[in-house]
Amino acid sequence: MPNKVFFNFLFLLIFRHRSKHIAIFIISTLVVILFSSVMLLSHAIEQDAQASLSAQPDFIIQKMHAGRAVETPVEWLDELSEIEGVSSALPRVYGSYFYTPNAEYFTLVGIDLFDRQISESLERLVKDLDVKDFLAQPSMIIGSGVKTHLDKFYYKEHYTFRTPAREKREVSIYDSLLSETNIVSSDMILMEESLARDILGVDEELSTDLVLYVPNELEHDNVKEKIILLFNNIRVIEKEELSTAYAQMFNYKGGLFLLLYMVVLMTFILILYQRYSMISSSDKKEIGILRALGWSVNMVIRLKIMESLIVGLSAFVLGILLAYGYVFYLDAPLLSEIFLGNANLSNKITFNHSVDFGLLTLLFLFFMAPYISAVLIPVWRIAITDPLEAMK
Amino acid sequence: MIKIEHLNKIFNENRSNAYVALKDINLHIKPAQTVVIKGVSGSGKSTLLSIIATLIKPSSGSLMVDEQMIAKLPDTHASHFRNVHIGFIFQAFNLFDELSVKDNVAMPLIVSENRQERIDKKVLEAMELANITHKKDQSVHNLSGGEKQRCAIARALVHNPHIILCDEPTANLDRENSLKFIEILKSFKALGKTVVIATHDPLFDNLESVDRTILIEDGKIR
Amino acid sequence: MILLSNEVIIFLFVESLLLLLLSIAFINTLSIYSKWDFNASTSLQYRLEKRAYLVVLIIVVSLGFKILLLPYFSFMIDQLSAMVPGAMCGAGVLSSNEYGSTLLSLKVVTLFLTGAWLILNSEDIKAPAYPYFKIKLLLFIMIYLLVVFESALDILYLINIPTGAPVACCSSIYGAITGGSPLPFNLDITRILILFYLFYLLSVVSSLARYSFLNTVANLLFLYIAYFAVVYFFGTYIYELPTHQCPFCMLQAEYYYVGYVIWGTLFLGSFFGISAFILKLIIKRELSYMYRLSLVFNTLFVSLVSVYVLVFYLKNGVLL
Ligand SMILES: Nc1ncnc2c1ncn2[C@@H]1O[C@H](COP(=O)(O)OP(=O)(O)OP(=O)(O)O)[C@@H](O)[C@H]1O
Ligand SMILES: [Mg+2]
Repeated sequence: MPNKVFFNFLFLLIFRHRSKHIAIFIISTLVVILFSSVMLLSHAIEQDAQASLSAQPDFIIQKMHAGRAVETPVEWLDELSEIEGVSSALPRVYGSYFYTPNAEYFTLVGIDLFDRQISESLERLVKDLDVKDFLAQPSMIIGSGVKTHLDKFYYKEHYTFRTPAREKREVSIYDSLLSETNIVSSDMILMEESLARDILGVDEELSTDLVLYVPNELEHDNVKEKIILLFNNIRVIEKEELSTAYAQMFNYKGGLFLLLYMVVLMTFILILYQRYSMISSSDKKEIGILRALGWSVNMVIRLKIMESLIVGLSAFVLGILLAYGYVFYLDAPLLSEIFLGNANLSNKITFNHSVDFGLLTLLFLFFMAPYISAVLIPVWRIAITDPLEAMK
Repeated sequence: MIKIEHLNKIFNENRSNAYVALKDINLHIKPAQTVVIKGVSGSGKSTLLSIIATLIKPSSGSLMVDEQMIAKLPDTHASHFRNVHIGFIFQAFNLFDELSVKDNVAMPLIVSENRQERIDKKVLEAMELANITHKKDQSVHNLSGGEKQRCAIARALVHNPHIILCDEPTANLDRENSLKFIEILKSFKALGKTVVIATHDPLFDNLESVDRTILIEDGKIR
Repeated sequence: MILLSNEVIIFLFVESLLLLLLSIAFINTLSIYSKWDFNASTSLQYRLEKRAYLVVLIIVVSLGFKILLLPYFSFMIDQLSAMVPGAMCGAGVLSSNEYGSTLLSLKVVTLFLTGAWLILNSEDIKAPAYPYFKIKLLLFIMIYLLVVFESALDILYLINIPTGAPVACCSSIYGAITGGSPLPFNLDITRILILFYLFYLLSVVSSLARYSFLNTVANLLFLYIAYFAVVYFFGTYIYELPTHQCPFCMLQAEYYYVGYVIWGTLFLGSFFGISAFILKLIIKRELSYMYRLSLVFNTLFVSLVSVYVLVFYLKNGVLL
């Protein structure tokens, strides 16, 4: 059935009723922009967080003392790596360093250049590193946020840290880290492990915490049980718990917004319903003529549904594109502050472009279902117009 | 062949403003006849045409076209019937002003034809018949009254219906164009169409191309 | 808490919109059904005919959305697995409480009836004088009641998904961990596979020969066996892991969402095969396109799952 003349006619109708459609189109686009930018943003943040999480070890083990985490003995590793299913067990040395000029905390992370790294991105980084050059003098690799802060006070080449015993340690800036996972690493400083121990004041036989890798997910529960049996006073953090917590947090933040947004959507439905329920005499005449020329009620319904569908769909597509630009090219000013707060070092955050099919389906359903529901009854009303109108 | 028997039409039936528009109409129209229905305003001419075109349904009585009962067809089938058998020419032309002549003419084919070449071919033939081909890409609001009428005629012919219904075809035309329309009537006859014209224009009195004149008064045939 | 998740909010929102629309259609249906008399020429009858357009329009649109919502539902519970501890795919979320599997089966049955309704409707419109109008309305009333029931179950199911305590996932629901044969009638995998291809052949023969009743039986048996064959045999080739027996994981992006295609073709194939007979009882003539579609989808399904096994064999030289 749909042929060139039909579409010509369809677009003519849209053009003819443009005054009716334009308002709907604008409101629809706004409605779509608002919720899809929030959803895109929260999705992007979650993806970012999950991506950096997936690089995390499967278990983190901390020694507890009086309810607080304290430094963990490295010798525990011997027993831990004995547990069946554990592919490797490593100590980690990291901690906060207070940067006085700006009153900011940097995260200092010690890396053992000759061992396995605690994350894949680090692994890649170390692989491309000229180790000899790096170790020739005390050096560090800094995150983009750290760089901004150091630049402010013209620490271009090196920065002088102080150990807990107030001794000076001059460390040269080897490189600044490209922000692949922005949120996690912009405040990070990477340096050789013994240097980090020195600056943070961590003894040789201790570490900040221990990490375990257990490749088979099915073994996780068993391994966890065994770890708990092995030592007293410890805390075991499982990656899945973290991931679940992350997912819950981000999803619920978005969910709360969606719930509130439903009020907007309801209003939108009512406006749409009202607007399309207004049937002018020229509308009636139009339908009357079509009916006289042999169009059935079903055909007219199809025509009218398509007419409002085109308006709705184009508003949807435009809205999504604008929201996409707002979040990923303009980096979501205003909204990102609401979502992330200003707690992070770098205020300027770029988000990885992440949209998946599921998210689009979700947005589509959330907009199109109310949209179509709102136009059904008006469409029907106009389609059953008495064809006698054509005779007047 | 149109056969109407004991047909009644009551508007707003069972309500306080009920109005009997047609009363016990009995009418047989033979194929290829040209019939004029005359009557004053409000006598029920348009109502009768609409019923023949299945645009409205009668309150009682039967209507047969080519041995097919059409008074009670469900809408999809009634519309299909209309699309195949009926060509309509209205008093107010009822064209879509923003569309070009050829798109207007193609309108009835949207429902029934799928192939664009077939549509183009039929549209061209109809425009030739109605002598409007030279304006085919003009949009309708630029046309004169007579040209609009010819565009409407092309549209009524494009799907090759065998019944053509005209409601006050000359009411919006000047005398010259009205006379031209009467010429066109003859060509309808030559094409073998059954033509029913509702009018009160005296121009249609005593025409030799008209086979029959029916007078309708207060919804009744005299 | 799970009710605050984006996917769930949108799912419930769309479901309630559809329920509202269907309720409007339902109320109209009741009045149309009681007063319908096609032979009458009263203005009441004409009004009813006009209202029937609204009913049909609403039903077609909302049933269309319902068709979209079934894959969306599986997508949703798959997403929820990120928030339910212990669940790694939809299987864990679905079986996290006692309503899940009933709900899913109800959804499939509703979709089945929906499809039948849409076909019946198109046949009704094609014929003069609305011959199946009343059956159509009755069928709709039945679907509506199921949908109401389904919505209640939706809510019950979703609020009862635990987010604190870990749930079991596919490895223990379907896997060998639990011990005992999960397969019906004490069949082993070899027998299941023999039956699988046998029933497929039977459905091919019966649909080519247009034996509608036999075709229905063949498709029912095929559907039943195919479910087990996919979960316990073909699935392991999709995951390339003999112990991974799960109908849900294949819906995930890691497996290129192939699960939607597999379950979708199986559903469509069985749907056309089974409903060909039922519709034939109602409209008293063969709808030959139903047999054709059933054949096409069943064949697509069988070739798809078989190709996974074949490709695995060609790549590795062994079977799992
Ligand atoms: N939809 C309607 N509802 C109620 N009354 C109607 C309706 N349509 C027409 N009528 C009435 O039926 C009568 C016949 O109308 P109809 O249009 O057939 O007259 P007509 O002969 O074509 O007149 P004219 O020459 O003015 O076109 C008129 O009195 C009119 O008021
Ligand atoms: Mg009139």
